[in-house]
Amino acid sequence: MKLYDRIFRPKKYTLPNGKVVEEKFTRLPLVLLILLVCTIISVHITGFNFAILGRNGSKFFDILKAMFPPNTGYMPKIWQPLWDTIKMSVLGSFVGAVLAVPFAVLAASNIVSNRVVVFVDRLFLSLVRTLPTLVCALIATYIFGLGTMAGTCAIAVFTFAYIGKQLFELIETVDMGPYQAMEALGANRVKSFVTAIFPQVLPTYISVSLFCLEGNVRYASILGYVGAGGLGLIMNEKIGWREYDSVGMILIVLFITVVAIEWLSHTIRKHLT
Amino acid sequence: MENKIKKAYENAPKTWILKLVLTLVVVCILVWSSSTVKITDNSGKGLQVAGNIISGIFHPDPKLLFTTAKAGVPYLLLETMCIAFLGTIVGAVISVPLSFLSASNIMPKPLALIGRTLIAAIRTIPAFIYGLMFIRVTGPGPFAGLLTMSLCSIGMVSKMFIESIEDLDKRILESLDAAGCTTFQKIRYGILPQLFPDFMSTLIYRFDMNLRDATVLGLVGAGGIGAPLIFAMSAYRWNEVGSILLGLIILVLIIEWISSKIRSKLTRG
Amino acid sequence: MIVFDHVSKIYPNGTVGLKDVNLTIKDGEFVAIIGRSGAGKSTLLRSVNRMHDISEGTLTVNGTNVSELKGKTLRQFRRGIGMVFQSFNLVSRTTVIRNVLSACVPEMPFWRVLLGAFRKDDKIKALESLDKVGILDKAYIRADQLSGGQQQRVALARTLAQDPQIILADEPVAALDPVTAKQVMEDFVRINKEMGISILLNIHHVELALEYADRIIGIRAGEIVYDGPSDAVDQSVLDAIYGGAMEEAE
Repeated sequence: MKLYDRIFRPKKYTLPNGKVVEEKFTRLPLVLLILLVCTIISVHITGFNFAILGRNGSKFFDILKAMFPPNTGYMPKIWQPLWDTIKMSVLGSFVGAVLAVPFAVLAASNIVSNRVVVFVDRLFLSLVRTLPTLVCALIATYIFGLGTMAGTCAIAVFTFAYIGKQLFELIETVDMGPYQAMEALGANRVKSFVTAIFPQVLPTYISVSLFCLEGNVRYASILGYVGAGGLGLIMNEKIGWREYDSVGMILIVLFITVVAIEWLSHTIRKHLT
Repeated sequence: MENKIKKAYENAPKTWILKLVLTLVVVCILVWSSSTVKITDNSGKGLQVAGNIISGIFHPDPKLLFTTAKAGVPYLLLETMCIAFLGTIVGAVISVPLSFLSASNIMPKPLALIGRTLIAAIRTIPAFIYGLMFIRVTGPGPFAGLLTMSLCSIGMVSKMFIESIEDLDKRILESLDAAGCTTFQKIRYGILPQLFPDFMSTLIYRFDMNLRDATVLGLVGAGGIGAPLIFAMSAYRWNEVGSILLGLIILVLIIEWISSKIRSKLTRG
Repeated sequence: MIVFDHVSKIYPNGTVGLKDVNLTIKDGEFVAIIGRSGAGKSTLLRSVNRMHDISEGTLTVNGTNVSELKGKTLRQFRRGIGMVFQSFNLVSRTTVIRNVLSACVPEMPFWRVLLGAFRKDDKIKALESLDKVGILDKAYIRADQLSGGQQQRVALARTLAQDPQIILADEPVAALDPVTAKQVMEDFVRINKEMGISILLNIHHVELALEYADRIIGIRAGEIVYDGPSDAVDQSVLDAIYGGAMEEAE
């Protein structure tokens, strides 16, 4: 940035009363240039091509068209995997959210004064977060075998990392006054935390967990693809057999479920704040 | 005196009933969903796999890690990054009009509802189905991947965009009105400066997520680092798995660090 | 009884907090510490319950050498000293009574703390404390719905619920409007006279300090420049404390 300022010198304005105000040259051209270069490279590497899109674009809807009308006869076979998906998401989210609490507390620099603990804990959370959910699910299927257990684990790991980060950032923005008051009246650190910090973060924590649950229902459908149970499993199967009308049915059920869960969690979250 | 306090004690709202019911409900849901837990007895093998992956990360395949060939980790990472980048941009281009249409403070309610339903529908379809659809259009490869990414981005990006639009501070428009500005001037100086940092911050965050999620694309052959990773895993080539994961983890950590820097700069100015 | 014996405090960055402070505060006294911002009022106050450590000298509270306290004994010691803050330091999202009940937390088993399951005796005690500061009717309201003065009373009730021998108040009325500030000061006087609890507060409203406190301690750059009854404070004393900065500031 210093180099940039040297090339594009800041403009100087002299006010009528003799004061000088400096205005730095706008960064917009630099940002645009970087974006443009990135776009050109990306277009080149990915082979982005409008002509193909124009010529073949309609083929995108082939599968979509084949999904309608959906095969309602397939409905009875959807229930079981649907419940599996919901169960996986609920349990996985719960376990992940609960496990995240101690890690988030240890990663909050306003609670833990030991820099090393905070750093190591944060690095751990970041590392878990970078692990793609799919890889997690694959590993889980190796460990627990094909089925819902693997899916639950993958979701728990994903939720753990996500909520861990959100929660420690939340704890760091909390009002430390009550905590100080608790220390002043002779409570130890754990009790002070539970009485003074917990009530402050609890509503948002639950809200974030519910938000995560919403997303996890969607994620759970992908997990089936690697054999981790639930809707994804039958979806993969039906795609393999090109029974797109059944896939359409599955998607409609998934859509309704997701909307219902979103509505439910939205209502609860409204009550919380 | 004593009486007053006794009365206050007895007047305490009976919240414990509500709490008990809530706890029971939660416990019931958890018990119900615990049927997914099945401990099968091949954990020994699983732990071995996990161990193999970790040792793979510490003993990566240098041939794969330091090469500029198309099958090498650096090129795959670059490709993944390009998919995520362009996917985010295309997604953003689609999201902007969609989210303005769905913001309930500037659009009539029914229209906003339709917009939201459309967004929810787009969000429901899993990435690999989009991947399959786009492969019919473009053939397998990164092009399909980037289109998939852009559709997947729409859901979250427009949701955040809508929130920013609905949080707009309208008092600024009032003051611009008072200063005699035209509609265009109001949009340029009253709305855009408020939305721009929020939008950029969302997009950078989404780019971050796309990079993480790009492995999914590999499932259906839509380019990126996912396919070699999954092939290597199913073929038990742990050194390869290790090198790919190592590259991915480092890349994601770097991007995350940069993106959080830029985002905090955007919000704090 | 609080005894400061040649107490000094130097912050890690070299700032002098307290310089050779010698002071004795007897049980049941109402003492106000006045001085400019940064003169060391807060440091003096907070060293009493060891929210701040001192670097030199000995500080004895009721026969206990404060610097020797550690962990459990320190927490036990703090149980006997109440503290009230400028920003009230209440958990604003929970009810008034829960805030007061938090005074009982140190003596409760951990599971009760976690579940928020307080015993009946504790609840009665909390309600009594609320009654003493005159806001019994607000017991089940969320703390953030009260006015500033009421919130400071909740903080006072929380302090009373721990049965302290000493109450330390760090700028208790700085965030309140003048009328409310007087009411809260009157609460302090009542607590001091009726319950015989020593009160040590720092305050930057000189008039309030002179009106309500029995004894004034003037502090300047970490040194005590005045220590005597409040009715003996005159302009020359104030000049010594504020160093003629009064006019400057106005």
